[in-house]
Amino acid sequence: MSLAILGVSHRTAPIEVRERFVFSRADALAALAMLRASGVAHEAVLLSTCNRTEVYADIEAGGEGRAVAERILADRAGPLPEAAKEYLYWLEGRDAVYQLFRVAAGLDSMVLGEAEIQGQVRESYEYAALAPVEPPFAGAVLSRLFQTALSIGGRVRSETELGRGSASVASVAVELARKIFGSLRGRRVLVLGAGDTAELAVEALAREGVQGIVVANRTRERAQALAERLGGSAIGFADLATALRDADITVSSTGAPHAVLTLDTVRRAFPLGPPRPLFIIDIAVPRDVEPDVGKERNVFLYNIDDLQQIVGDTLHRRGEAVPAAERIVAEGADEFWRWYSSLDVVPVIRSLRERGERVRQEELARTLQRLSHLGNEDRAAVEEMSRRLLNKLLHTPTVHLRRGAANGRSETLIEAAREMFGLDE
Amino acid sequence: MIHAVALLLYAGAGLLWLHSLLRGGGRRSEVYAPWVVAVAVGVHAVALVRYSLAFQTVPLVGLSPSLSSLALVLGISLLAILAQGEAKRVGLLVVPLIIILEGAALMIGIRPTGAPLAFRGPWFALHVTLAFVAYAGLAIAFAAGAMYLVQFHELKTKRLGRVFQFVPPLGTLDRLGRGALAVGFPALSLALLLGWLWGVQFGQALGLKDPQVIWGLLTWLVFLAVLVGRRTVGGGGRRAALMVIVGFAVVVVSYVLLRVTLVAGGTFL
Repeated sequence: MSLAILGVSHRTAPIEVRERFVFSRADALAALAMLRASGVAHEAVLLSTCNRTEVYADIEAGGEGRAVAERILADRAGPLPEAAKEYLYWLEGRDAVYQLFRVAAGLDSMVLGEAEIQGQVRESYEYAALAPVEPPFAGAVLSRLFQTALSIGGRVRSETELGRGSASVASVAVELARKIFGSLRGRRVLVLGAGDTAELAVEALAREGVQGIVVANRTRERAQALAERLGGSAIGFADLATALRDADITVSSTGAPHAVLTLDTVRRAFPLGPPRPLFIIDIAVPRDVEPDVGKERNVFLYNIDDLQQIVGDTLHRRGEAVPAAERIVAEGADEFWRWYSSLDVVPVIRSLRERGERVRQEELARTLQRLSHLGNEDRAAVEEMSRRLLNKLLHTPTVHLRRGAANGRSETLIEAAREMFGLDE
Repeated sequence: MIHAVALLLYAGAGLLWLHSLLRGGGRRSEVYAPWVVAVAVGVHAVALVRYSLAFQTVPLVGLSPSLSSLALVLGISLLAILAQGEAKRVGLLVVPLIIILEGAALMIGIRPTGAPLAFRGPWFALHVTLAFVAYAGLAIAFAAGAMYLVQFHELKTKRLGRVFQFVPPLGTLDRLGRGALAVGFPALSLALLLGWLWGVQFGQALGLKDPQVIWGLLTWLVFLAVLVGRRTVGGGGRRAALMVIVGFAVVVVSYVLLRVTLVAGGTFL
């Protein structure tokens, strides 16, 4: 038995290749069923995200596992040039364990330390574990593998800086908004312009529960279209001061060559200055908001450079945390691999105990027949002694078998144990 | 001895929060801090119960028992904030205040001091307890206001480092400050009313020149000014935080001045 991964990821393939390997939930289950039906894998999980598709399997070592898995992925991708095989990678043994742990920790992500991958790994595992098949696609081995991977991912996030901070303009906007307002539920958002980045930022804010999204644009039709997509309402630029008065957060990304939100507009909206915090995100280049607006009391103005600086700082801090994260991942992979290797000797240990128990029972019956004068208490004492004797005799070989397996000597030890104890007879 | 244990536990909780701050928040140490505060409050309460049993009096009269009781009320208030969860990191500033009060009490020696106890039943106990609740409210509003200014500065200067990560959101701190003042002001108003009624009832009505009356009324005016100020500056924000900090400083400084210039003996004031 061995653990293996066949995969394609952002490290090995461009998007036009990766997108051909994307599996829906139903397709993933069908692929796992095919893998099992081929008889090469006992357990399997398929992880499919926009940045990777990886099949994790507990396979027969030296069998046809790789060929079958490649065929399944190739079926999905459709005809690819022969060179496309270079996009796929195959990892086996401890390397496969290490790879999954790195993935779950966010070390193998396109955006280092991203948090979403943890949820995607969890979902893929749960989908395989809870699929209505018997035995489940994720059984004892892969369940332990994925649960350990998720736990190691959690440790990396809590013990290092890898998962800290925000690594995209949209997530920085949300983080800042949270630090200003606390909960964003019910906060009102004013959107100036209809740029894509602004839309992403507003969508991220909407997921946090903001309400009352108002879109202002020079052309009312475009404002209306974006407002409909975001579930808000549209206004013209003429009503900007009124809309600003009601807003907690303003996201601006017009294509205007001059400032759209001036100090004068802000002062018209708030003659005494904003009475409560007003968060303004200016994503436009050239800038939409006059820099002096940021000097107003209770106004927090962030432009695209500020946001990108924060993203850069976050990624720099995460980069510095990689060695510590890799150490945690390596420790976890080693520990898991020790447990997994010890599984090879489990059938031998079981046979050894069964044989020993059989001999004990036979000898016990013979002895007790000869000592028929013994009372119940004495008979129990003899039986207890035989049990203790057997346990003590088997303790050392059992420990050495497990320890040797964990050190990669399982094959030699299994052979020796079978021969010495006559387990094949 | 038990007081010293409580003091050490409070210090331990403060160090856990400090460790979390130095690492940018979200550390495991921070998870333990509320539990350490809970144990500290428990030990502190046991210490004051033992005091009551030993001296056959409540620890509400005399300087050091009063300081220790005020520290306990502040500790219990902090526990209430920690149970709510949102602004628990305010503990970093509240715990030092508790340590100062309890430390001062320990340095003076926690025993009945000054004139014979003027304890006259539950009215007096209620008067003092309500006053302590009010001062604890003002202290918490101060801590929230101080953190508000720090976070405000971080956001304005766009320095989003460890302090930014650690300090709670402005909105959360503003709500905490408002809530603490909303509890403290009626508590102090009632405490002053009870104090006056108690004085009339037992023929010990105090004049306007009495340090206790001066300090009580001054604190009440500070509460009123801060609450009115919050209304006039639009519900909260930086100015409200500044006002509560100044108000707290006025109350503390006036207490020290009154004790130094007007009060002798071992009474609280």
